Amino acid sequence: MRPDQQQKQQQQGIDVAVLVSIGRHPTTGRARRAEQDARGLELALSMEAELPGTRISMLHAGPQGDGSEAALRGYLGMATGVGMGLESMTLLEQPEGSDAIPALAAHLAATSPQLVITGARAERGEGSGLLPYALAEHLGWPLVNSLASVEKVENGVVTLLQALPRGQRRRLKVRLPAIISVDEAAPAARQSAFGPARRATFAITPTTPEADSELAQWHLAPARKRPKRLKIVKAASARDRFKAAASKAEGKGGQVLTDVTPEQGAEAIYKLLKEEEVLR
Amino acid sequence: MLETLLPILIFTALALAVIGAVRRIRLWRQGRPSRVNLFQGLVALPRRYLVDLHHVVGRDKMISNTHVATAGGFVAAAVLMTLVHGLGIANPLLGGLLLLASASMFVGSLFVARRRLNPPARLSKGPWMRLPKSLMAFSIGVFLITLPTVGLLPEGLLEGGSSWLLALVLAGVVAWGLGEMFFGMTWGGPMKHAFAGALHLAFHRRAERFSTKKGGVGRSTGLKALNLENEAAPLGVEKPADFTWNQLLGFDACVQCGRCEAVCPAFAAGQPLNPKKLIQDMVVGMAGGSDAAYAGSAYPGKPVGEHAGAPHGPIVALEGKALVDADTLWSCTTCRACVEECPMMIEHVDAIVDMRRHLTLERGKTPNKGAEVLDNLIATDNPGGFDPGSRLNWAADLNLPLMADLKQVDVLLWLGDGAFDMRNQRTLRALVKVLRAAEVDFAVLGAEERDSGDVARRLGDEATFQSLAKRNIATLAKYRFQQIVTCDPHSFHVLGNEYGELGGNYEVYHHSTFIAELYDAGRLAFAPWKGGSVTYHDPCYLGRYNGEYEAPRRVLKALGIKVNEMERSGFRSRCCGGGGGAPITDIPGERRIPDMRMNDVKESGAELVAVGCPQCTAMLEGVVDASAEVRDIAELVADALVERPAGNASGGSQGTAEMITAEEAIV
Repeated sequence: MRPDQQQKQQQQGIDVAVLVSIGRHPTTGRARRAEQDARGLELALSMEAELPGTRISMLHAGPQGDGSEAALRGYLGMATGVGMGLESMTLLEQPEGSDAIPALAAHLAATSPQLVITGARAERGEGSGLLPYALAEHLGWPLVNSLASVEKVENGVVTLLQALPRGQRRRLKVRLPAIISVDEAAPAARQSAFGPARRATFAITPTTPEADSELAQWHLAPARKRPKRLKIVKAASARDRFKAAASKAEGKGGQVLTDVTPEQGAEAIYKLLKEEEVLR
Repeated sequence: MLETLLPILIFTALALAVIGAVRRIRLWRQGRPSRVNLFQGLVALPRRYLVDLHHVVGRDKMISNTHVATAGGFVAAAVLMTLVHGLGIANPLLGGLLLLASASMFVGSLFVARRRLNPPARLSKGPWMRLPKSLMAFSIGVFLITLPTVGLLPEGLLEGGSSWLLALVLAGVVAWGLGEMFFGMTWGGPMKHAFAGALHLAFHRRAERFSTKKGGVGRSTGLKALNLENEAAPLGVEKPADFTWNQLLGFDACVQCGRCEAVCPAFAAGQPLNPKKLIQDMVVGMAGGSDAAYAGSAYPGKPVGEHAGAPHGPIVALEGKALVDADTLWSCTTCRACVEECPMMIEHVDAIVDMRRHLTLERGKTPNKGAEVLDNLIATDNPGGFDPGSRLNWAADLNLPLMADLKQVDVLLWLGDGAFDMRNQRTLRALVKVLRAAEVDFAVLGAEERDSGDVARRLGDEATFQSLAKRNIATLAKYRFQQIVTCDPHSFHVLGNEYGELGGNYEVYHHSTFIAELYDAGRLAFAPWKGGSVTYHDPCYLGRYNGEYEAPRRVLKALGIKVNEMERSGFRSRCCGGGGGAPITDIPGERRIPDMRMNDVKESGAELVAVGCPQCTAMLEGVVDASAEVRDIAELVADALVERPAGNASGGSQGTAEMITAEEAIV
């Protein structure tokens, strides 16, 4: 990318694509905006407020229907006020049971947004949480999970704050384009308003559906409640009990690499993955 | 000289008044259309003024008499003056009447002046302070110029060459009076209330709130539904011009007497709301400008002069300040104390909910827990987000009959969302015990019941309200029942008064009314009351919204309790702070509304306060270090239940003949 283009980019903000799915209320099972995806959109909207010129597009892959439409309008209702430019959502239409990943990957490759935001895990369907990783693999873009906030965008590099367990945060610099996934660490989604949600439209893009062949082979059954093993805390004092509840799980074994070249680091990881038989 | 000057003065003032009236009417017509029968309204005007309005004004006898003398005298004097001095019909009879009218007006204006000597805080100052002087100028001036007409003074007195100065002074006084009374009436002076007020009464948006000769109830408290089918129709009120024209006219009718301010629980709690200021802000917005000229009490914590608006500008700014701040609108508990007290019949609550609708439906800006509660209502049909299937968990041991099994009963017991609240579950259990003791044929909807939509609607979410209401109506349509009984006045109001517009018409009873009727029918017998002194707190949605002040007191009397009334009870009851979603939006103030109410209870000396509403129970029981216990009427009744005297199949101490008629009335 030429320097002048980068300069322009810094001033104009960036193109952000937010992937949204249809959620499922944990108590009643009703379709709704998915909790994590809504947080992803909230992140994009707060970026837009801080970084003028940021353009947000929303993307959903799935069938078109009344039930799903009401849930998707839940996202569209979050874009209230003037100049949000979110009066429309791109709907990659495909029948139920199709694989969303090829359709999303093809669309993202064609429209080339600089930042893709997605929830960590869907609330219905497989809900395996693999979609961000599969997309990153398809597109060859870096992925950052469990994002807390986007701090700034400069010359094609985004500074992110990643949430780690127990309230820890890690600052990362990532070259764009990139995919980020959000979970409960991201700020809660704003209220969805009825008026903007009702007025919004869907830009329906037909796709060539690819049936999810793996999913078709699976046998799906409702989850059963399993007996829980009671955790016996052998603690003599309140301090011990507190430590047991609050302390970080200590990792056993392993090695800490410091001051190594990226190649050495990658080699160490590759070796470990081989040992653990993740890679064969 | 006066003979030539007076007609000129009178007709100039009249002409200016007409020009002002046209300008004022154009301001009102900026509003959206509203279907009103103009002719019928004008025909009904005298009755609405003389009966309904004076019913409210008459609560303060001094002011009521003052107004009769002043306004009556003025209207008569204005007409007669135009005839006698304007058209020169120097009839001694008309002149005599004119003397009488202006004298009456003068006496009235003396009382107006006396009230202005040391005015209470609720009254607006500013131009209102000069009004008694203007009234006197008009009445004295008219009186004096009429004396020669009836021959009480020699005709020539004001015409001689030496007395031209006196004539000029008189003409000046009359001109001052005419300026205030005729010109000021339509150009925005204090007398505007007479012009706008009369038309407001005639073209009121709730014509049904006025009594009729046939003896109509004269109550209209249900909120008006938004048209959600038409996507072009605005969702609530964003700018002053989004109000209907007769709402704008209603704002203009305000006399700034501040009776609303004196009874507003939010104002008393130091929350940033003053109903009078809100109405004045709407007047400012309608005409365009700043609120700097307002001369009454400000919103607590918000100085006057920092807000401004325009007819087509936003009322609540997206950022910064516009006409009104959002927390002002969210402070309201929708208790209707202001509407009940307003002598000009202005509908404050309608206006507030209209503006809230815009904030919620268009901007998604329901404060604090509002968004969460609305999301819960959408996803789980109850504000707490509980599993809808657990609505009957509290009654697991009661074997409650379900509508789904019986299909047809006499009484459908509507549980309300109190079914999820452990405190209200005690009330519900007590109510079930009472119904069983009276052998009432009843059933519940159980898991099929949803929130009535009350909270969603008062938080401005009309879409969720209508969705809940339509589904509830569809559920109720599956079953046959005579009446609905509920222990929640909010459900009672919404089911009874607000479902009708959406196609659900039911006979709804509050449990206190139903228990009173059961007792009258001899189906309940009570042990004598042994507790201490008791007071009763009127829930807003039972009392002011539905006019039921008597039944709960009848039940308490039947229990052998002598109610030790609080100073503010009945239609003047002070809100508990639990209505209108106020506990959800939770706007900070200097005090808590329920604390003030429990203080009222303390001042009455009662050891127990009887209530009839789950919200009131929750709010009043939440008061720390309270001096009185809080019990629902159903609990008091259930505790006092005894076996009905034997020997009579349906028991009761009343005579059999009387009983049968009462039974018929209930079943």
